[in-house]
Amino acid sequence: MSGVPGDGETGVAAGPAIELQGLTKRFGSSVLAVDHLDLRVEHGQVWGLLGPNGAGKTTSLRMLLGLVRPTSGSATLLGTPVRPGAPILERVGAMIEHSSFVPFLTGMKNLELYWESRGGHLQDSNVEEALAIAGLGAAVNRKVKTYSQGMAQRLGVARALLGRPDVLILDEPTTGLDPGEMREIRDLLQRLPTQGVTVLLSSHLLAEIEQVCSHALVMDKGRCLRAGTVAELTQAGASAYLEVDDTERARQVLSARAGVTGVTTENSGLAVSLDGASRAEVVRELVRAGVRVETVTSRWRLEEAFLGLLEEEER
Amino acid sequence: MLAAFRTDWAKQWRRPLTFIGLGLLVLIPIIFVVATKANPPGRPEEFRDAGDAFNFYGTKTGLFLGVSALANTSRFLLVIVLAIFAGTAVASEANWGNLRALLVRPIPRGRLLTAKLTTATLLGVIAAALVVLTGTIGGILAFGWHPLTDGSIHQSAPNIVGNLALGTLYVFWSLSPVIAIGFMVSTLTDSASGAVFAAFGFYVVSTILDAITQLPSWFRVALPTHYLDAWQKLFPSGRHNGSGPTADMLRGTLLPIAYVLVFLGFAWWWFRRKDILS
Repeated sequence: MSGVPGDGETGVAAGPAIELQGLTKRFGSSVLAVDHLDLRVEHGQVWGLLGPNGAGKTTSLRMLLGLVRPTSGSATLLGTPVRPGAPILERVGAMIEHSSFVPFLTGMKNLELYWESRGGHLQDSNVEEALAIAGLGAAVNRKVKTYSQGMAQRLGVARALLGRPDVLILDEPTTGLDPGEMREIRDLLQRLPTQGVTVLLSSHLLAEIEQVCSHALVMDKGRCLRAGTVAELTQAGASAYLEVDDTERARQVLSARAGVTGVTTENSGLAVSLDGASRAEVVRELVRAGVRVETVTSRWRLEEAFLGLLEEEER
Repeated sequence: MLAAFRTDWAKQWRRPLTFIGLGLLVLIPIIFVVATKANPPGRPEEFRDAGDAFNFYGTKTGLFLGVSALANTSRFLLVIVLAIFAGTAVASEANWGNLRALLVRPIPRGRLLTAKLTTATLLGVIAAALVVLTGTIGGILAFGWHPLTDGSIHQSAPNIVGNLALGTLYVFWSLSPVIAIGFMVSTLTDSASGAVFAAFGFYVVSTILDAITQLPSWFRVALPTHYLDAWQKLFPSGRHNGSGPTADMLRGTLLPIAYVLVFLGFAWWWFRRKDILS
């Protein structure tokens, strides 16, 4: 799987690492899972597919990997159109939905049979590095049926990393992991672009996308609602969490201010929905009104963002 | 292709279900041999059927206990084990969620199916061979290696062995439609048990329909189980003295070709265009 993306040696055409053009999938006559999805991911970028359950994220990734046939449109990896079993998949590592393995085999045997199903030897696949990242230790020699969901997920990440892929496609990679494991996976995903790896991951966790991705595509009901850098998207649906010394006074001030669309009590602070006002302006307003602001954090609730984007789409 | 087969074989060979299936096919002939040795059947005035004759001849030459083992299992246990090997081939991978991982490797789907069918077929051959070998070896240990001599009936030991090998191949091939439909259903569903049930159900329905003599003969002779027992005429069974391959065996050899082509053809056609959602 080594090789510079788009170089002549590998015979892969230059161009984006991942490109979806008008990708559409209809199941039967009534279910439109993905609706004319366009996406262009350049080499070394980390993109997040963000959306609620049923948004079409997994179906889109499956089409990108040749598991599901598009009804229309096209998907290319490293400049090559994807079809089931296409040779270009040799340069792709993937983990689709929860990681699943042959339960009566050990983790190591699963990796071996997976990798060697196309020939070659596991030892040539960079397995030690992948296992170090997965951090399973001696458990890799235990049968998979004894694994927790988190361990299986980590083994799935190791499987996706075998052979140092040029493109990594991960579907909800941190599902089932504890906070420490989540952090390890996110750290890894942040390191990969420096090694030239292009990453496309799906998640319904906004924080994960914000931490890991340079770009994101927000989708719902199969449609792309918005795509761009994470910074652009955050601005589009900003909110803030504030902790102040006088919440009642702060609520009065903010409710009267233009650019603030909602103020609700949350824990010991206030969740503030913004539409036009920046967090800095809100803080200045409160300070001017004599309210001491102890904490202000960037907030972007997924639900609020989706609702906002959907309403905008309908308008 | 070889790598895909090798890895699939390694997987199936470590599977508990494989050991259970093959283990049963070893255990049953051993029980049969031990029971026959402990309580040898006497010669009846007339044999009820070929199996009855084979059981009795088994006490005259141990080689016939291999014939008996094949006759006793080919109508039920062997069918179930073959249905399990075929029905679980693809559906189990889907059920484990491992199929999508296999298919994101750059392996053409047809190649993967070929590897899986080869594994299921090879396991099926081993299953049929195990029944016969266990019965024969157990029979030789219990009753010795002799030619069969019973009144005017005579069959040499090498002749029995040759016919037994031919009969085993014939039984396996006659049951190939069960393998083919099990494999086909296995590509359609994520439920391995559903695929196994479909394959065995197909066999049972065919057997029942074949037993309804009021049905037109052109229909019954087209049923995949109609000629399943034709191999038994290779051996003496009271009503006849045993012969070489018969016309029924020839028909029984040709008949499965159509079923296998249709079922496997559909399996390939479907799987190559199937959306992998499991």
